[in-house]
Amino acid sequence: MLDAVIELHQLTKHYGGTLAVDDLSFKVEPGHVTGFLGPNGAGKSTTMRLILGLDAPTSGQALVNGRRYATLSRPMHEVGALLDAGAVHGGRSAYNHLLCLARTNDISATRVAEALEQVGLSGVARKRVGGFSLGMKQRLGIAAALLGDPGVLMFDEPVNGLDPDGVRWIRDLMRSLAAEGRTILLSSHLMSEMALTAERIVIIGRGKLIAESTVAELTARYPSLEDAYMALTADSVQYGAAR
Amino acid sequence: MSILASEWLKVRSIRSTYLIIGLSLSAVLLGLGLAAMAAGMYDSAPPDKRPNARIAELEEVLVIVPQLCMGILGTLAMTSEYVTGLIRTSLTVVPRRWPILTAKATIIGFLGLIVGPAAVFGTYFVSRWILGDRFSGAYTTEFLDRLPILAASSLTVPVFALLGLGLGALLRSTAGAIATIAGLVYVIPIIIGNLPEPWSERLGSLMIGALPRQITGDGNASSVFGSLLPPAAAGACLAAYAALPVLAAIWLVRRRDV
Amino acid sequence: MKAVFSSEWLKLRSVTSTYHTIGTAALMVALGAAWTFYVSGLADERGSLRAAAPEEGFLPLVQISLAVLGVLAITNEYATGMIRTSLITVPKRGTLLLAKAGIVGLTTFVAANAILLVTYSASRLIASDRHLGFNGTSFADDLPKLLASALSVTALALVGLGLGAAICSTAGAIVSVVALLFVLPGVVNYLPPPWNTRVATLLLPNLVPQIADERLSTRLGDGFLPPWAALAVLIAYPIVTLTIGYFLLRRRDA
Repeated sequence: MLDAVIELHQLTKHYGGTLAVDDLSFKVEPGHVTGFLGPNGAGKSTTMRLILGLDAPTSGQALVNGRRYATLSRPMHEVGALLDAGAVHGGRSAYNHLLCLARTNDISATRVAEALEQVGLSGVARKRVGGFSLGMKQRLGIAAALLGDPGVLMFDEPVNGLDPDGVRWIRDLMRSLAAEGRTILLSSHLMSEMALTAERIVIIGRGKLIAESTVAELTARYPSLEDAYMALTADSVQYGAAR
Repeated sequence: MSILASEWLKVRSIRSTYLIIGLSLSAVLLGLGLAAMAAGMYDSAPPDKRPNARIAELEEVLVIVPQLCMGILGTLAMTSEYVTGLIRTSLTVVPRRWPILTAKATIIGFLGLIVGPAAVFGTYFVSRWILGDRFSGAYTTEFLDRLPILAASSLTVPVFALLGLGLGALLRSTAGAIATIAGLVYVIPIIIGNLPEPWSERLGSLMIGALPRQITGDGNASSVFGSLLPPAAAGACLAAYAALPVLAAIWLVRRRDV
Repeated sequence: MKAVFSSEWLKLRSVTSTYHTIGTAALMVALGAAWTFYVSGLADERGSLRAAAPEEGFLPLVQISLAVLGVLAITNEYATGMIRTSLITVPKRGTLLLAKAGIVGLTTFVAANAILLVTYSASRLIASDRHLGFNGTSFADDLPKLLASALSVTALALVGLGLGAAICSTAGAIVSVVALLFVLPGVVNYLPPPWNTRVATLLLPNLVPQIADERLSTRLGDGFLPPWAALAVLIAYPIVTLTIGYFLLRRRDA
């Protein structure tokens, strides 16, 4: 068994009176795609922000390669993340947007061009991002995550807004990145996609861990991954709706 | 250094930067217009009235244009990242956070340091060129005598840029930061002007607009501003207007959830 | 139309920036009270004195705060992309802008009047029968000035809304309002006479004393405009900017 690369230890986060992440512990290992599932508002994005040091945990800790993310000096070479594809300045070109990020971690302009090529945006590299479709912005966000050729990658809903071609492209990309020995944490609501892409699954609901398992185990116990998800999250969804 | 290059590219790659710098330099054109108007008035006045004709120092009046514009450039450098959410990415790739703010402050301060003197000295030379020897006063004295006040006025421009940056990071709101700058520069002096002595003069000496002429030792005889500070204290006060908001922003951004 | 109005009213009520801007404007009450206490103390030492009335001295605070409210009423929607949803649900852009103008106008007029009246009454109560220079006149005499002040706040908020619709940028619109309210009057002072007075009489902050039939300032002398003309100019400001905003909003892709 390989060493875990992302480790959460009793991670907890309050926002005012709201408990967003509740005593959450799990590990993500290299070499395969780990699907990160949960109903809307379950705390997936918050967990990713906590791992990336954007929000400070109320208690507990999240470690990447055994260290707190905020202590990394060249983080783009270790971790790549796509949280919100829309988080770009619409007035900047795709190339300049990536170059702004690349410069902070001493990544070359050649590498920026490579990343744009890899996600299929070379043709629009000099166009203003404001005119991009959601799918193009997702590809731009993925390019940003890949810039530093990191061993750990986290993607929050990267399939949103992609056309069927794009969905297949992401699936193949995720699997090839994992096959290279990287650690991939991928959140999505598309169960059929997840069943094809991920090998391991972490399910959370209302900030708590519900299940940590392999896709194979879940599909052995339930008719499909979707059925497994529905059965496992039924409680937290109802509770969430009643609130 | 690499973060500095990144922030420099951020500023360069946005159209509004050029628009704002252009607007800052429009002070020179305004100076040209006002000086031409004044020259016309002077020439059409009867000769016996000419020796009494006075003209205000146009570059000291019009410095508010680059001040305000560069204050907004500083504000937007911070708030545009918060509005779009780009700040999350920026702070993910530089998790120590403070280098982003110091790099932004360096770039914005540097731009202010270029644009400020360009606008102030530009307005001065254009006015001097148009007015020739028409009015006795600022434009007929030696350039070297005017140099200190021109330099001090120019310095207020990078101060505004950094003030905007600091307020933008603290408030995370374009509207809030710009309104605060407007309040600081325009609303408070009006209120202070109405205060009875000794407070009017005391507080009036601390306003940004009052500092250049205290730095040079000229004093603010004919305005709502006071003249109580010695040059060094006035200089320190001007620096504090830039440094305190930026330092407070660095402190807060390091602690705050993004 | 009524539905659009109620929707805009709900939009305005449901964002925190509305409360921040009105709260900032309402600081006038506290500042006015503190001011009156302070000058009252001075008057007790020195006898009578001539101090500025708080509802005049702090008026720029109310003007700029509520102008920001007007700007944000539309630029917030551009910043968040909400404008697209708004224009899908109300495709007639004129109706949308008119509803916003109605709500912003009404809200700022009520808020400004309330803030000014409370400041006015509180300061007169605190001053009681001391001679502070601003409390010698009767309420009936002061009323035109108070109403003109509140009207100037509303006019400025609507100018903000119109500019916001015209340039869709919070920064740009607020700066334009600041220029109109503070920068322009400052620069105009330096125009050679008689142009300084001529232009100054038409500027927004100088319309309030002219509507109340008072002197502009010792430097600029009397205004040129009779009260009714000053009132017409004040009303023309929002009408012109809102019209420009409307035409740009109508022609532009959202």
